[in-house]
Amino acid sequence: MKFINKALALGAALGLAALAGPALAQGTNAELVKAKPAGFPTQPIEMTVVYPAGGGADLTARLLGKTMEQLSGSRILVNNRTGGAGMVGHAWLATQAPTDGTAIGMLVNLVWGDSMLRAQGRWSHTDLEPIGYLNSDPMVWFVTTDGPFKDKTAAQVIQAAKEKPGTIRVATVPGSMWDYNIEQVEAQTGAKFLRVPFQSGGAGVVGLIGNNVDVALGFYAEAKPHMDSGKVRGVGVAAGERLAHLKDVPTLNEALNGKEYLWTLLRFVVVPKATPADRKAYLAAMVKAAMQDQGLRDEYAKLGVYFDPTLEKAANITEALNKEAEREREFYVKTGRLK
Amino acid sequence: MEAISGLITGFGVILTPSNIMLCLLGSFVGTMIGVLPGIGPLAALALLLPVTFSLPPVAGVVMLAAIFYGAMYGGSTTSILLNIPGEAASVVTCRDGYQMARQGRAGAALGVAAFGSFVAGTLSVIALTFFAPILGVIALRFGPPENVALMVLGLVCTLYMISGSTLKGLTMIALGVLLAMIGTDVVSGNERFTFGSINLSAGLDLLAIVIGLFGVSEILANVEKISKNTLLAEKIKGLFPTKEDWKASIGPMLRGSGLGFLLGLVPGGGPITASFISYAVEQKVAKDPSRFGKGAIEGVAGPESANNAAVGGGMIPVLSLGIPGTPVTALLLGALVIQGIQPGPLFMQQRPDLFWGIVASMYIGNVFLLILNLPLVGLWVQLLRVPYRVLFPIVLMLSVVGTYSSNKNVFDLWVMLAFGVAGYVLRKLEYDLAPFLIAFVLAPLLEQSLRQSLVMSPDGIMIMLQRPIAATLIVISFVLVALMIRRGLKPRETGGVINEVHQ
Repeated sequence: MKFINKALALGAALGLAALAGPALAQGTNAELVKAKPAGFPTQPIEMTVVYPAGGGADLTARLLGKTMEQLSGSRILVNNRTGGAGMVGHAWLATQAPTDGTAIGMLVNLVWGDSMLRAQGRWSHTDLEPIGYLNSDPMVWFVTTDGPFKDKTAAQVIQAAKEKPGTIRVATVPGSMWDYNIEQVEAQTGAKFLRVPFQSGGAGVVGLIGNNVDVALGFYAEAKPHMDSGKVRGVGVAAGERLAHLKDVPTLNEALNGKEYLWTLLRFVVVPKATPADRKAYLAAMVKAAMQDQGLRDEYAKLGVYFDPTLEKAANITEALNKEAEREREFYVKTGRLK
Repeated sequence: MEAISGLITGFGVILTPSNIMLCLLGSFVGTMIGVLPGIGPLAALALLLPVTFSLPPVAGVVMLAAIFYGAMYGGSTTSILLNIPGEAASVVTCRDGYQMARQGRAGAALGVAAFGSFVAGTLSVIALTFFAPILGVIALRFGPPENVALMVLGLVCTLYMISGSTLKGLTMIALGVLLAMIGTDVVSGNERFTFGSINLSAGLDLLAIVIGLFGVSEILANVEKISKNTLLAEKIKGLFPTKEDWKASIGPMLRGSGLGFLLGLVPGGGPITASFISYAVEQKVAKDPSRFGKGAIEGVAGPESANNAAVGGGMIPVLSLGIPGTPVTALLLGALVIQGIQPGPLFMQQRPDLFWGIVASMYIGNVFLLILNLPLVGLWVQLLRVPYRVLFPIVLMLSVVGTYSSNKNVFDLWVMLAFGVAGYVLRKLEYDLAPFLIAFVLAPLLEQSLRQSLVMSPDGIMIMLQRPIAATLIVISFVLVALMIRRGLKPRETGGVINEVHQ
């Protein structure tokens, strides 16, 4: 029976460890506690993350979950339902998740592409209602500080890809905003890159440092240590305005004189559409209260994210995010991906 | 010496009661997780990650790292005792470890596995101490073409360890590669071979396959031998390795350590690949290779050292570059990032306390693990006395829990079950299952790297020979294949699964 004893010991160790949880926010928010609708289920709220533990989305969700729990006094569990680069979790949330208010999801906007291009009618992002905005992470174009583009601007990089088409190697993630951003630049400027496929932006940045590509698209946090060490620098940001933590890097719109280069990872919270309205409102209030917590904002800032003012101050976040989804749909229609 | 003074700083940081306790707790939890089939280090780390939020950065990472290498220590236990790997990096240990247990030498096998893990763990931390900054660069040297060459070499090494029919072994390798094709195309992003199933869009889950193929099928195979009440075939001959055992093991331990460490450094390596290649190497250098698969102690000492050394090697790109090579190291990186610490080229200079604290904790953790594991050997061996009817339902339950907990997807349970039945049938038909697993692990990276290489290369496949590291590895692979052909593609008289089925 040693085996059972050991299994129990393990369970106990894990349980004890879980009890010693952290404290981001201190104490509950009295208004939030009062706002809890009568008859709200007593079991924990399950926050689904569709990406594996330890990644950017997971860390974002766990920090949010902790803060929401502290402020509301309602128990929140983060659960990673992974597989199919998010497809499995997205489908579960849209079609199988309970609609009694105990299921919420922390999603990134890649869910829209999944739903519009790959769901094949099996589920739709419109079955999920956005109830709160967390933060954004705009796409940055990186080059090395000792490579062929060490002192070049984004416009010069793209000029080079125009003069010698198909020779400038750029790291991309196939079938995703990395690809779309490059495609957009190519369509607008007549440049032609050699696209080398990678699994993620982070892998592409590693490829850049290893000199296997000349340009890499990725997020700030993925390249930060290499920027700090002076190995890598940003040449352009696919956003409407410059980022506070990348003041010297112009936006692609500045550099290329455009306005359509807007590729940003958006993180937000959804509930299944069929969740009762009062419970939706309660959950939305929880997210909002958490996002006003300075402790949480500081934690997020450490991850190198950006708080988009238009989404932060939006009177109706559901509408504001649906508008972003609509903009993405227009791109798919324009490029013939969607009819 | 900068490294020595750094290490002294590190021990200063780590030698506080709470840090020591967390290191001990991590080692203990890691060992348990390694022992329990189904529950792997990844699931455990994910579960414990939130706990580290409230701990100081050093303490949190020390605990998580201890769980990771602790799992490598514990993983061999059920491989040896039950022929069921505790986690994927201990699949090869089943071959000779289980045979040793059948001969009543379970204690010797467990002892050598624990001690080999200690030697490898310590050697790799020493290498980490002195060479971390230099070695970090190696990870960067491994671009797509180098990865292709490494994966090819890995597959070629697998050829050497096929037991029984070569044709059947090759069939299993091909099957592994083919099943790895299911999922999303790495270049176009399109789904393939998924038959419209969302569950297949990321391919089959490795953990579900390992548990099904090696755990569930082993249970099925044993159920038919239910007439015997316990697993204990013979009397246990001594709990600890003999002098001869040590003498035979020390070479494999050192080779396994070196090999595992180097493979841990590079993105395509990691503990699983390291253990397989180490086994193939030991079989190649052995005076009498025919003993392999029949309880050769080298076949336990080498791979068990290699998988532990790979953990130490894998820490280097994480700490010195911020590049995780495996999902587990990605999680460790996440734990640091959430503390506002971004490991990278400047990590050592900016946070010497943290860097050296983590390194120092690995010395201490390895000692803890040895102390924890050696006395446990006697206890684990008693597990063999537990009757089947009690033991197997527990193992099966743990398998189900472990498989479900990693993705929370019921589909994975069906995969586990299907591979359990398939594994049982394949055992009956005398197919060797290990080559399937290594092919399944290597194929996705092989495919991705090959296609990346071809996109990057102006001269097509010639890129493989234009880069020195890639060219060297490819040449070695060709030489190995040539040697094999000269041998006449004849299978070696090895035992393992095959002999066992006959008995």
